[in-house]
Amino acid sequence: MEITKDITIEDLIEDYPFSVKYLSTKGIRCIVCGEPIWGTLEEACLEKNFTEEEIEQAVKDLNELNKQNK
Amino acid sequence: MMTKQEILDKLGISDVNMGLTTGTEWFDTEGKTTTSYSPIDGKEIASVKNGTLDDYEMVITKAREAFKTWRMVPAPVRAEVVRQIGLALREYKEPLGALVTLEMGKIYQEGLGEVQEMIDICDFAVGQARLMNGFNLQSERPMHRLTEQYQPLGVVGIVTSYNFPVAVWAWNSALAIAAGDVVVWKPSSKTPLTAIATMNIIQNVLKENNVPEGVFNMMVAKSSVMGDNFLGDKRVDLLSLTGSTAVGKRAAQIVGKRLGKTLLELGGNNAVIVTPNADLKLAIPSTVFGTVGTAGQRCTTTRRIIIHEDVYDTFVEKFVNAYKSVEKKIGNPLDSNTLVGPLIDKYSVQLFQEAVTKVQEEGGKLLFGGEIAKGQGLENGLYVVPAIAEAQNHFKIVQEETFAPIVYLIKYSGGVENAIAINNDVPQGLSSAIFTKDLLEAETFLSGMGSDCGIANVNAGTSGAEIGGAFGGEKETGGGRESGSDAWKVYMRRQTSTINYSTDLPLAQGIEFNL
Repeated sequence: MEITKDITIEDLIEDYPFSVKYLSTKGIRCIVCGEPIWGTLEEACLEKNFTEEEIEQAVKDLNELNKQNK
Repeated sequence: MMTKQEILDKLGISDVNMGLTTGTEWFDTEGKTTTSYSPIDGKEIASVKNGTLDDYEMVITKAREAFKTWRMVPAPVRAEVVRQIGLALREYKEPLGALVTLEMGKIYQEGLGEVQEMIDICDFAVGQARLMNGFNLQSERPMHRLTEQYQPLGVVGIVTSYNFPVAVWAWNSALAIAAGDVVVWKPSSKTPLTAIATMNIIQNVLKENNVPEGVFNMMVAKSSVMGDNFLGDKRVDLLSLTGSTAVGKRAAQIVGKRLGKTLLELGGNNAVIVTPNADLKLAIPSTVFGTVGTAGQRCTTTRRIIIHEDVYDTFVEKFVNAYKSVEKKIGNPLDSNTLVGPLIDKYSVQLFQEAVTKVQEEGGKLLFGGEIAKGQGLENGLYVVPAIAEAQNHFKIVQEETFAPIVYLIKYSGGVENAIAINNDVPQGLSSAIFTKDLLEAETFLSGMGSDCGIANVNAGTSGAEIGGAFGGEKETGGGRESGSDAWKVYMRRQTSTINYSTDLPLAQGIEFNL
């Protein structure tokens, strides 16, 4: 399955745990107070003022990392 | 100490558990399965079937239906159910406390303490049920009576966090149920078993008292199933959420859009002030409990210590020495000798390590700890040596809440007002404390120009609140109050009534309106 921008952060963490570190380098904290933040990957990116292109790139990077992790 | 299997057997936890109940009926749902792993050893405890969107609809419909009946049961009769729940919790205090430890990782003493909080709030709610009163007021019109009363509110949604996996449900539910509301609980996906165990414990009480299905609901679900839709659901009259400021802000926006009610218990960045007049015999052990208790994963954990320059060196020496003792007691939280258990997962460890790095990058100095603990039984990498770092209050990392045992020491000079300014200079406003034997310092700290937090203690630490006081904080902590004092009011609908027992129709403000 491909990661899309509509995936919730909670599902992203559970199914693709490597995402936490990747998004942390982009300034997105997926876990706060020990719990995943609510909302989608796209919403988390928009909160950090990502452009559409940057969001697409993040999704692409995560899918690439997923391939490498398989 | 019971074995893991004995704990699970006593609480009715199977290998695979249903994650949805409306009180006594359990439902076999078709959502994803969540596996609960113990942070103690990383081993699987059991798994739980999550609810789906269809299940959510069923629960809310059932809850709304049950509310119609429950709201008309007299409050003291409703509270009798709560009293019996308190008795059942007493009976299961040890296994439930142990399961809290097994699933969440806090030390067993704190696991027991968590269940005791549940019992305490049940006792509190029983008495409160006879005192959910309003006021009778003086009317300006002859032969009129002006009165205020409190009515049941409706469906209370409760979202809880892993660090207090069952006590927070009890704080909300005991009062809400006594107030005539029905509750829908979404427990943390990290600690679903304690929620299931709690519902197992109370179900006999519900059966014996013929409590309608739909009064006590619990559904284990992902935020994609019970997230924004739950927050935005007009059928949920009050949304009580305990969690991060990030999730709280989201909740406030979504619930606010529909002008719904929220009770938010969010992040803290709690400080202890140590003045030159502090009794260090009290300040040191109290503050160590505040910083390393629950491995730094309480919302009231002491994150900053603001110390006067005159006592700074002495305090630091004693504080570091105390940590050296603590370091020897990092281990399995079920072991009675342990003071610090594991963090909840590898992400928390990562955030802890990042904080240790960041504070040094910003110019701080690490005085103690900060590494992953090593030794027999600690191999899963979730045990850390609590960290002490000298820092400045304006550091970005100090302004944030790191949910792990890292504490920042900040030196101040001059009067107590300077320490209070540092205490208040963070976005959060949950808990605060001052250690002093000087009356003027203590009273200044508690005055209008003092601490801006919801909790302000004198010669007692930031964590470990009693059930009798209202619990909550200001600013980015969310402003909610739950537990004791008059927190019950948030679970009720306030109503003002004017009763005319005359044969005339005088209008307020003396307005003449003659037809």
